[in-house]
Amino acid sequence: MAERFDRSADSEGTDFLYPFLGEDVEDAGDADALLDDLAASAVSKGAASAELCSRTLTANAAEVRATARAMSDRFGAGGRLLTFGNGGSSTDAAGLAALFRDPPWGQARPARCLAEDQAVLTALGNDIGFDLVFARQIIAHGGPPDIALGTSTSGDSRNLLAAFEAAAARGLLTVGLAGYDGGAMARSPHVEHCLVVAADSIHRIQEVQAALGFALWAAVDDASREVASG
Amino acid sequence: MSGSAATGTRSVVGADRGDGAFDLGRDEGAQLARAALALARRLAAGASLWCLAPEWPEHGRHLAVEFVHPVVVGKRAFPAISVTGSDAVGELRAAVRPGDALAVIAPAESGIALDAVRRAPAWGVDSWWIGAGVRPPRVAVDHLVWVHRADGTDDDDGGGGAGARHDGSLVLRYHVLWELTHVCCEHPGLLTESASCDDEAGTCITCGDDGHVGEVRAAAVDGLAAVRTARGTETVDTTLVGDVAPGDLVLVHAGTAIERIAASRG
Repeated sequence: MAERFDRSADSEGTDFLYPFLGEDVEDAGDADALLDDLAASAVSKGAASAELCSRTLTANAAEVRATARAMSDRFGAGGRLLTFGNGGSSTDAAGLAALFRDPPWGQARPARCLAEDQAVLTALGNDIGFDLVFARQIIAHGGPPDIALGTSTSGDSRNLLAAFEAAAARGLLTVGLAGYDGGAMARSPHVEHCLVVAADSIHRIQEVQAALGFALWAAVDDASREVASG
Repeated sequence: MSGSAATGTRSVVGADRGDGAFDLGRDEGAQLARAALALARRLAAGASLWCLAPEWPEHGRHLAVEFVHPVVVGKRAFPAISVTGSDAVGELRAAVRPGDALAVIAPAESGIALDAVRRAPAWGVDSWWIGAGVRPPRVAVDHLVWVHRADGTDDDDGGGGAGARHDGSLVLRYHVLWELTHVCCEHPGLLTESASCDDEAGTCITCGDDGHVGEVRAAAVDGLAAVRTARGTETVDTTLVGDVAPGDLVLVHAGTAIERIAASRG
């Protein structure tokens, strides 16, 4: 989607991360050399992702707890989780909804991704424009106890910003996962809790956003148990 | 499992969870490299990439969109399709062409994934399997990439890979596969050799000698059945293996079905 183009154009370019791969590797006999370079590259990517994950979870620890308490309150009041995103982030949003709905342990909670129904998406996209495909669904489904959670790497996706504005106006709790510097989501008065993965690779951002989402889910589980036992 | 005990081990995730699921070791790096080069060769030759994730559908869709709509401007778009229907194997059987690629993202217990991977050779399709949890039994998958802990053991979190499904460690694997595949694509001179079966994986239990996997198209008449193999449709003598039904998998050698192959279990 647009965010993937916008950000990749100026931040990653076409030469991302492979300074050590010379252009002279063209001979079929050099396949082993290429494989060696690729293997080393894979290891370094994993290390970069792990380091970013560790740094991000530390930096966001307090905000994750605060967000989890707010989400736990909403679930306790009968709220539902509505997630959304574009492209790979839409599948990450779907995975997060699945985590709350069908968790590996603990309580199942009502959660749904707004990017999964092609009839709704194409109807809204065709009739009123793609910028409103999530906002319109928030207006249709969302109410005060609910939670709107949008995930974006750029933090600038217009349809997410519109969805957050509609959600805030209707009293939903608003939670954003963003990358880079958080973009417009981090500055939006309509995004109450914004968790930012401060990096400039779309892939590494998405990997760590997943880890953040998992940490958020675990913290909601903890917060709900504290309420139950307290 | 009890909530508090489980949360105690999993409330911190990714790198912080301490089991190294984000760390790609040297062996896994090498596996990913070989998987990427093989995939790049297939794609360069015109393959479609079929993405199958029956238990984790979001990952099948994520992998497909990576290839169809690259995050990096200027990277080539490749045909990748996420298969999400309730009869994924039937969908694949009807749609795939010889030379295509099948990428499975699933836990080892996935009956649909096992079924598809076992049939892939009969369709002339190479297979890649990215997963987590207990490792699958030895199956005829060409490239296996498995989330593991730093101590080298599999990421058996007691939830069939549920942790890896959600904490980013699985996403990391297929992101890296995509990135390395595109690096290979920048070296066209390396994409033309070895267009046939990649025998480096060493996980094939069925393609010793010149036997090859076939999928029965129609029941036998007078001991002869139409069987789909990587070479096309062959007329195969099935008297050695007894009655066969459409969909049965057999090992074909010199025009004869010499052995049955279990499709989805075992």
